[in-house]
Amino acid sequence: MIGAAPSQWPGEEAATRRDWQARERRRPIIQASARRSLGRRRRAGRFVQVLCVLAAAIGLAPLVALVYYTAERGLGGLSWSFLTQAPVPEGIPGGGISTAIVGTGEIVGLALVMAVPVGLMAALFLHERRGRLATAIRFGADLLTGVPSIVIGIFAYALLVRPLHHFSNLAAAFALAVLMLPIMIRADEEAMRTVAVDLWEAGVALGARRSRVARSVVLRGALPGLVTGNLLAVSRGVGETAPLLFTVAAPSFAMTMLIYTDGTQPFPAEQQTAWTTALLLLLFVLVLSGIARLVAWRLTRRAR
Amino acid sequence: MTALSGASNLASVKAAIRHRHARRGGRAYVVLRWAAAGLFVAILAGLVVSIAVDSSQAIAHSGIGFLWSGTWNPAANQFGAGILVVGTVVTTLVAMIIVVPVGLGTAAFLSELAPRWLAGPLSTAIDLLAAVPSIVVGLWALLVLSPVFANYVEPFFKSVPALGWFFHGPAYGPSILLASVVLAVMTLPTIVALSRTALSGVALADREAAMALGATHWQVVREVVFPGARSGIAASLTLAVGRALGESIAVAMVIGNSPSVPHSLLSPGATLGSAIVNQFAEAEPGIGTSSVIALAAVLLVLTLIVNAGGQALLRGMGPGRLRRRGRDRVTKAAA
Amino acid sequence: MSRRPIVLTLAVGLGLLGAAFASTGSIAAAATSGPAALHTTAPGGPLGPSYDTKTTSSVTLSGAGANSINPFFEKVFYQYHLKNSKSTITYSPAGSGVGISDIEQGTVDFGDTEIPMAAKDLAKATRPVLQVPVDLGGVAISYNLPGVPSGLKLDGPTLAGIFNGTITNWDSSQIAKVSGDKSLPNLAIVPVHRADSSGPGWDLDDYLIKTAPAWALKVGTKASKTWPLPKVGLGEQLNSGVATYVAQTKGAIGYVEYGYALEAKFTNAALKNKAGAFVAPSLHSISEAGSEASDLSATKYSIIDGPGSGTYPLANFSWTLLYKKNPNEAKAIALGKLFDWVVTTGQQYSSSLGYAPLPADVVALSTATLEELQTPQGGPLFTK
Repeated sequence: MIGAAPSQWPGEEAATRRDWQARERRRPIIQASARRSLGRRRRAGRFVQVLCVLAAAIGLAPLVALVYYTAERGLGGLSWSFLTQAPVPEGIPGGGISTAIVGTGEIVGLALVMAVPVGLMAALFLHERRGRLATAIRFGADLLTGVPSIVIGIFAYALLVRPLHHFSNLAAAFALAVLMLPIMIRADEEAMRTVAVDLWEAGVALGARRSRVARSVVLRGALPGLVTGNLLAVSRGVGETAPLLFTVAAPSFAMTMLIYTDGTQPFPAEQQTAWTTALLLLLFVLVLSGIARLVAWRLTRRAR
Repeated sequence: MTALSGASNLASVKAAIRHRHARRGGRAYVVLRWAAAGLFVAILAGLVVSIAVDSSQAIAHSGIGFLWSGTWNPAANQFGAGILVVGTVVTTLVAMIIVVPVGLGTAAFLSELAPRWLAGPLSTAIDLLAAVPSIVVGLWALLVLSPVFANYVEPFFKSVPALGWFFHGPAYGPSILLASVVLAVMTLPTIVALSRTALSGVALADREAAMALGATHWQVVREVVFPGARSGIAASLTLAVGRALGESIAVAMVIGNSPSVPHSLLSPGATLGSAIVNQFAEAEPGIGTSSVIALAAVLLVLTLIVNAGGQALLRGMGPGRLRRRGRDRVTKAAA
Repeated sequence: MSRRPIVLTLAVGLGLLGAAFASTGSIAAAATSGPAALHTTAPGGPLGPSYDTKTTSSVTLSGAGANSINPFFEKVFYQYHLKNSKSTITYSPAGSGVGISDIEQGTVDFGDTEIPMAAKDLAKATRPVLQVPVDLGGVAISYNLPGVPSGLKLDGPTLAGIFNGTITNWDSSQIAKVSGDKSLPNLAIVPVHRADSSGPGWDLDDYLIKTAPAWALKVGTKASKTWPLPKVGLGEQLNSGVATYVAQTKGAIGYVEYGYALEAKFTNAALKNKAGAFVAPSLHSISEAGSEASDLSATKYSIIDGPGSGTYPLANFSWTLLYKKNPNEAKAIALGKLFDWVVTTGQQYSSSLGYAPLPADVVALSTATLEELQTPQGGPLFTK
């Protein structure tokens, strides 16, 4: 601090006094300089504040533009018949994306059946065991979350399409399950961590079976977190296209594939279908994320 | 019950309970858990093995030089990943140049400047951007952004004399620039979310110490908060790079698909991901398919390395602690 | 917690699994005894009489292949399904290259390609493959030049110059000389090629090799299945990608299947054919190109730059790929009947979409090829 009295250094009073006097003489000069620097520092701060606000506005702009354009162009095509009729060839009016909606539901549903139980069980495994194996698996899950979805699609092709000699919803579901599994495992485990460990020990101490403890204590306690994590994983899976590219039998069986094939057509009717499907997908994903966030928020509220 | 029957040692209690479980058949649960863990490991291993085996034919055919040899022209039997790696690196680099300032600025805004009523909804909005499917981003970029770029943005950049080296050539729309912007949009939420957590995590005591010494808010942020959040920010950048490397569909829609050395940001290009999207289905079985899967292997290795680094940084992101040098910074801030 | 939720989940899961398997084409097939009749009524000419398309069992056929034939296939498969609701046909128009590679690997029931498989590709397939011409179409050279109507005259050397980057502006003297139009705007040419291996790309390649010495010099005298990637212009996926880009970019020129160009109302170039006339793509000019084809076969298939004063030089037949011996007999019968219908009655849907009906001798070739289909045991699948 400027101008403060120095601490007592035994045996050096003479030197101390000289330093102190020198500093006191320079005091007004230093104070003036500090005042000037304060102004400069404040202006620099304001300048950076403006930059940050600008950055935030730029950061928000793509989301706004995306939602706006998708809504504007997609809304026009939305109708009950769009949702319930099957696609028709170019040139014939009407038709819809019913096969894609049903197909997406099938594929994602199948993927959930595959991934949710395995994710839960694996998370319980990680939760209840310590040690190197668990750490390794946790690390593996983190790595798998970063694997590009197209690589997962190639894996599903090699495993389920090539040997069986046909494209299928099962292969597509498997690809999505592999994609969602690591996200679910990590989210489930994080959720389980929130359950106090002494509750678990109490259950075991009371003589209950491990599975009973898992069900009643861990899963029940972690339920909001589990729901949040799994919902977020689902919203990620629903929106993926690359894993479906090499596994679905035809683009009309999945909404994301339909957006890809119709969106790249030069014909207005097809492009309209692509926009409307994109809008549906966007709404669905946003609603899912919204619900997940709501559940997480209620969870933290309850914890407080 | 065994637990209450007078055993004095916790370990023996647990052993007794375990014994009881085995008799009661709680084994099924244990088996299930092991099965799930084993299944997960099998999937992970299967992925790596399958990609490696399928790409081995191509590597055997073209040698390890496959990785950097320049030409990708399957019809002429030329399978070289080099040009695609260049395209991938360039698009990711440009995307980072765009998104890092915007992302860090947004994170700083959210964590330091925004009032509470604004910060919550705004950061939720940015997180929702992460939830948008990549195909929707690609559709929007192809049908809305591309004409805007071709007619306004790219000619604008061309007209700035200082940037001539970066921006020349015909303004098609689909280009390295457009692909980089798409990647920037898709990686922004990652950077903002993680950086914001890191910035907010810097201990209040450290901030207050700096303020007590007379530093302005910006100085506190610059000298105390950012350095304290360093590993978290580094983690967010690394994970964003990992995400950008692997994005394939949206990039394929807007990059112009020309596997040649880009001579400017406005020229069309190709990345590993976009090449796989476009070429996999029609590759000739045998060397053709194997080469495309080899591209996937390269992509896999790249993203694994980057993501492993990011995860390691994420783990190191503890509560913001100042080290010696940091304390000196605080004092310097007051001068 | 009771066991009910677990049982419920399992039941739902099994149900979904079953649905998924059902949707991937499991067939409750009743095997026919002995070869069935392919034509249940006497065929009478290329657009034969209405014909019994009914199959007895539910069948899902999945195919993949040429993008160019997609509008036609979409229409005829839809009409076929209306007449015969037991047959569900899906087609993935991902490109000729995809069709060929899928047939080679056996992952689809039928494929389609604009260029028939060569002997070396046939050898790679797991089973012998029959190639059946099902459609006659053309490749339009479409351009986006505001104020310039359809029919701009172009020839091989000029096109070669555009696509290899030596001619860069629409007001170039070379274009003015060939087209006779000196008022073309001062606009940069944006050449768009197919990024994937494509029938139209091969057709254009073949045409340029035959008519432009400069092109042959650069590319070699053997047309490749993939457009040689010049560092000129940009590549788009499929006809739709090229068409979408041409539609939204001034100065762009690209090659698309005529059906797409017709639907998108593009302005197309009139190309110089072998007889020296400049002919624009139309049903009539494509038909003429088809009727000039003599001794058509899977090895002698090119009608590019053919004889005739009114022929369009960029026309081609589309070839469907079928396994000669499909292990699934119900599917084999369904496929045979489907494509027999497509090449006869189905041709009535072609003209409105920009494809020309197959000439009579080609229909005869197609039906004769279909009659070569065999049962899994090796006998003929249909009676002649």
